[in-house]
Amino acid sequence: MPPVELVFLGTVLAYATACALFFAHLGVRGGLPRVARFAPLVLAVAVPLHAAYIGLASIVAHVCPVESLHFVASASSLGAAALYLVLRRRFAIDALGAFVAPAALTAVLGSRFVGVPVHRAGGGLLALHITANVLGDAMFLLAAGAAALYLVQEKQLKKKRARGLLGRLPALDALDRAGHRLLLAGFPLLTLGIITGSVWSQKVESGSAADVARGLFAYATWLLFAAVLVLRAVAGWRGRRAAYGTLAGFAFAVAVLVVYLARAAMTRLS
Amino acid sequence: MIVAVGLSHRDAPIDIREHLAIDKEQLPELLARLVARPAVSEAAVLSTCNRVEVYAVALDGTDAGLEAAASDLVRELDDWAALHGGVGFARHLKRRVGADAVLHLFRVASSLDSLVIGEPQILGQVKDALEHARASRSVGRYLERAMSKALHVAKRVRTETAVGAGQVSVASIAVDLARQIFGDLTGRAAVLLGAGEMAEGAARALIAAGARLIVVNRSRERGESLAADMGGTYRPWEQLVDALVEADVVVASTSARGFVVTRPMVASIAKARRGKSLFFVDIAVPRDVEPAVNELENVYLYDVDDLAQVVSESMRERRVEAERAERLVAHEAAQLAAWVDSLQVTPTVVALRAQVRRALAAEIDRSLAGRLKHLPEDDRRALALMADAAVNRVLHTPVTRLRALAGEARADDAVQLIEHLFALPDVEVASGAAADEPEAPAPPTPPAHNGSLPR
Repeated sequence: MPPVELVFLGTVLAYATACALFFAHLGVRGGLPRVARFAPLVLAVAVPLHAAYIGLASIVAHVCPVESLHFVASASSLGAAALYLVLRRRFAIDALGAFVAPAALTAVLGSRFVGVPVHRAGGGLLALHITANVLGDAMFLLAAGAAALYLVQEKQLKKKRARGLLGRLPALDALDRAGHRLLLAGFPLLTLGIITGSVWSQKVESGSAADVARGLFAYATWLLFAAVLVLRAVAGWRGRRAAYGTLAGFAFAVAVLVVYLARAAMTRLS
Repeated sequence: MIVAVGLSHRDAPIDIREHLAIDKEQLPELLARLVARPAVSEAAVLSTCNRVEVYAVALDGTDAGLEAAASDLVRELDDWAALHGGVGFARHLKRRVGADAVLHLFRVASSLDSLVIGEPQILGQVKDALEHARASRSVGRYLERAMSKALHVAKRVRTETAVGAGQVSVASIAVDLARQIFGDLTGRAAVLLGAGEMAEGAARALIAAGARLIVVNRSRERGESLAADMGGTYRPWEQLVDALVEADVVVASTSARGFVVTRPMVASIAKARRGKSLFFVDIAVPRDVEPAVNELENVYLYDVDDLAQVVSESMRERRVEAERAERLVAHEAAQLAAWVDSLQVTPTVVALRAQVRRALAAEIDRSLAGRLKHLPEDDRRALALMADAAVNRVLHTPVTRLRALAGEARADDAVQLIEHLFALPDVEVASGAAADEPEAPAPPTPPAHNGSLPR
């Protein structure tokens, strides 16, 4: 088996194991503290394997990862997983691994079976656009995970079913704070991505419906995230409202990616 | 003989229970009303945030008498609740009589029926109930014995089982919940409204977790003293809203009859709080915080019943210990029941001994006045001791067998037969009126001069 395949298999296995461990901790009543401690370690094995896989795959395909749409989703999820490992202690968001690990697993499998690495000549501008979006999406993925867990945890507490998840999910404030900081850090990258994307699209895009939709989704993402940040600063919108806003913004960011992937798939088919 | 009527967190939700909440100041009046009931001879009231129960002794120890006493208690509590807005309250009240009532009292005192199994506060609350009953002179021999025994059993349970180990208390659950909302509690503002024992426990737990305490109390003196005691700061009641703006956690435990924190009040401070989470722990009964507060964004409210819900699932590891404690409590309850049953035959035993002793004394008196007139004092004393020993010896077997029958249906037949055979005077069997009878015959001391037996 070629090395790239071995690394791919190792990455998938490590992510799948991490998923199982995270879910086992959250799914079993009372939690499994030892398992919970082990899960991030497995994820920490998966992340370098994933990075190695992207590197090897791009070498094999003779495509620079930041110039190929094929690697974007995979790289974003890799960034999110790496960020999680760095931030989990600082923000006390260990359980967020249960969101990040399956997202990374899905992305790495998706990148393998959906589309092929294709070089798009675009020079530095495209590379900058993709890099900014990859890093920004990694942060938004984590922020969306924090928002989703916030809503779960908040519902448990409101409905007085707190015992079920006591000690297993991060504290509400920790999730809210992590989501806000990640959004704050990702927003300039998103802005950069949108600016470079706008310039790029003026140069090469045809003005098709897909291009228009992608542009609209990208601007909607920016507007929603901007609104979440501004309303928090001005009107104290935190917690549930911020979580819904973050999830809505992330949904548009995913929609942008979906439009890209759909267009790539259709191009390949035609 | 013993009857228990009331309701607890197991029988009724807090919006029902709060109509029956009884202040310490109201206890003497209620106790006086209870013992004034025709079928009740003794009464004590246990009133906590999780239960209001009356333990009483029926004037008549028969089944009908116990039922009559239970009905009296139900009527009295129903009337009491009606005074505080509780309509049709009787259907919520749980009645227990005889051995069930005793077992329940023991389980309650041993914290086996508590919201948090093994919590220590209930022991002090049962002690308080007994003290209040003593102060109101509403407790007599039976209830005194039963409640003292309950306290003794509770102590045994605490020392001989691990049911109270690894304490999962309302306070610790409150801290756990606060951590689910805020994470680290260091520097968080915990506001204490009122000063109940349970609230103090929660406040101490929050301080131990790093929170800073703000005490808001109507009584300046009490509030300042509490704040100083716990290393917090005091705010007068007028600054309640300001304290809520600053608060992260609020522990409410006032004795107010209505809500002291309302939804409009909390909604009005939302802007000033800028979306910060606010966690209310309301352990007051009646409740201090309007339930609709929980509907507000970023506000979480847990009352005693909500805490019970959280706690109930954390009890798994204690169940083995609780089962041991249940066995211990059942054994002690059976002992007390045996004691109570023995009282059923005790008056007859006492009367029988007295009757036989009187008959023998009369014969010895006659002999000492006649043919034995010459006997010196020492011999007379020896004769008295011998006569008493003879009484005990002759009656030993019938008395032992009669006591063995205590608690059985046949005991009544045996008692009636003995009374008939020995022409005993009317004896009140197993009633509150018999409470002052000695439990067993006095040791064989020589009677006084001119008594039944000679010197």
